[in-house]
Amino acid sequence: MQIAVAGIKKAYARKKVLTDISFSMGAGSCAAILGSNGSGKSTLLSILAGVRRADGGSFLYRDIDLLREPGLIPKVLGYVPQGDPLMEELSAWDNLRMWYDRKTLERELAEGALGLLGIDSFLKTTVRRMSGGMRKRLSIGCAVVSHPGILVLDEPSAALDPVCKEKIRNYLDVYRKEGGIVLMATHDAQDLELCNECYILKDGILYPWQYDGDFHRLAEAL
Amino acid sequence: MKRTAAYFLAQLKRAARLLPGQILADIAVCFCAGALVCLLIAQGAFAAEGTRYRIGMVGNLSDSYLGFGIAAVQEMDDSRFMIELVPMSEQEADEAFRRGELYAVMRVPEGLMESIVYGKNDKFVTYTAMQGQQGLGTMVMGEITDVASMLVTCSQSAIYAMQRVLSEQGRGDEIGWETDKLNLALIQMVLSRGEFGEVEVLGYGDGLSLELYYFCGAVLLFLLLSGLLNSALFVHRKIALYSFLKARGVGAFRQVLGEYLAYLLLVLAGLLTLCLPLGFGLARGLLAIPEWEGMGAAPFFAFLPALFPVAAMFAALQFFLFEAADGIVNGILLQLICGIGMGYLSGYFYPSAFFPETMRALGDFLPSGAAARFAQAGALGKIPAAAWAAVFVWLGVFMLLAALFRKRRMGR
Repeated sequence: MQIAVAGIKKAYARKKVLTDISFSMGAGSCAAILGSNGSGKSTLLSILAGVRRADGGSFLYRDIDLLREPGLIPKVLGYVPQGDPLMEELSAWDNLRMWYDRKTLERELAEGALGLLGIDSFLKTTVRRMSGGMRKRLSIGCAVVSHPGILVLDEPSAALDPVCKEKIRNYLDVYRKEGGIVLMATHDAQDLELCNECYILKDGILYPWQYDGDFHRLAEAL
Repeated sequence: MKRTAAYFLAQLKRAARLLPGQILADIAVCFCAGALVCLLIAQGAFAAEGTRYRIGMVGNLSDSYLGFGIAAVQEMDDSRFMIELVPMSEQEADEAFRRGELYAVMRVPEGLMESIVYGKNDKFVTYTAMQGQQGLGTMVMGEITDVASMLVTCSQSAIYAMQRVLSEQGRGDEIGWETDKLNLALIQMVLSRGEFGEVEVLGYGDGLSLELYYFCGAVLLFLLLSGLLNSALFVHRKIALYSFLKARGVGAFRQVLGEYLAYLLLVLAGLLTLCLPLGFGLARGLLAIPEWEGMGAAPFFAFLPALFPVAAMFAALQFFLFEAADGIVNGILLQLICGIGMGYLSGYFYPSAFFPETMRALGDFLPSGAAARFAQAGALGKIPAAAWAAVFVWLGVFMLLAALFRKRRMGR
């Protein structure tokens, strides 16, 4: 197994959000976490990304507990939060330059992940003039700067048009096939087509779920 | 640290895009601040222009000795430079007082002279001033009226007493001669009253002239409120960006540091924009600062580096307030309330020496007070270590608080 999450707990004041989160994933796998609003999906992903601190538990990646070695997280994990982490007044190029040096950026745009995401078509556009799809692709582009082995996405296709969704899915498919691990929180049933594992987060506990295309059954389970 | 530097550079790019708008806003504020400084300095020039308080004298002024006393005060005493006693009827005095032509009215009651002659103490000169004139001017006027009252009544008492003693001793023929001698002695005393005491002007804020004090106050107020002008940098703040930065290894303190440095550059750009009209005004003699008289703008530009640490501390304060506030509108309101409140308590509008002890202590303790002490000492060319320490302690406190609020914002 590439990653193994065990016993993660988190409470805000007296409210327990995550009571015991455990799961594992292998290389090249993609997992979706489903759950109703406020169920703790974003909290779980932000804990794994090192943004929030867990009250307990472990997150093993190649036998290293990343929760105890948070300094390693930026090197092995790319995190795309729910909103876009971009500076509105700056162009796509300027936002990327914050994370990439010039040479790497040019190379990635020509033949790497940024090219696959189609970012080269709006490099000079300022973020405030970008569509939701452009913003999401640029956010992913910023997150994969260190070629991380794990990509954590919080609702990657929320409020996007089908063309943008398709571009992002195509990229994630390539990423997964190259051995990357994708973990995403989503409300979008179409995203599940990309995933080979599915979990439902309810009452602070993560349950494995077999999605069979029955949307009604899924809604009942949430 | 590489990521922090990259984040700082990105913030710097944002600041550079916002800079033209900021400079235009700074110029507008500089114009208003310049007008304020000129107004304050012009107000402080009343003494040099010889403005006097007009006081209406009402009642029975026909007694020769009372007339002599009033004339002595008007013609010989030092107080003649500040007050003008104008004998007038009750009706004239009331009308002039209502029109605001008189600062106060002094009423001499009927029988005052008889009361003094017979050693009684049952008649009083009444002094009427407007409600709301309970400031420093009223206190000074009270003191001056006491002096005038003492001069007039005591000299008369002395003359009448001497005349009675001479009559009782059967030396009536000497009364004229002795009265002249006593009058001369009293005139001698009045004339030499300037030697009785010495007025020493200590100045404001450890020895600054009123002009330099208000000059420092106006510049500090501009810096204190510059958060309002630079608020554009705090628009479009995103928790997603903070979370992303944290996930990329740029923690709350580093984020705050990167943003603060870019913000500081905007504040310093504002300060330099303010310096141009101020330097021009000083060089052309439009602004008269006694300590810098005849030296043009050179002392001001020598004083300017002393404002940089203050600007850094105020930038940290503003950064913290924006971080603590929920939303840009709340942030601007918080800046305004804190800026005006702290500026007032620390004597930017009115010398804090006039405040009660508790208010003065609070004003000194506040960051605005630390900044005032630092800038005033800088204007005199000697900044004590304690002033440096106070400014940098406040700067550190605000940066730490801002980082704590950032952590809280990211939902730690």
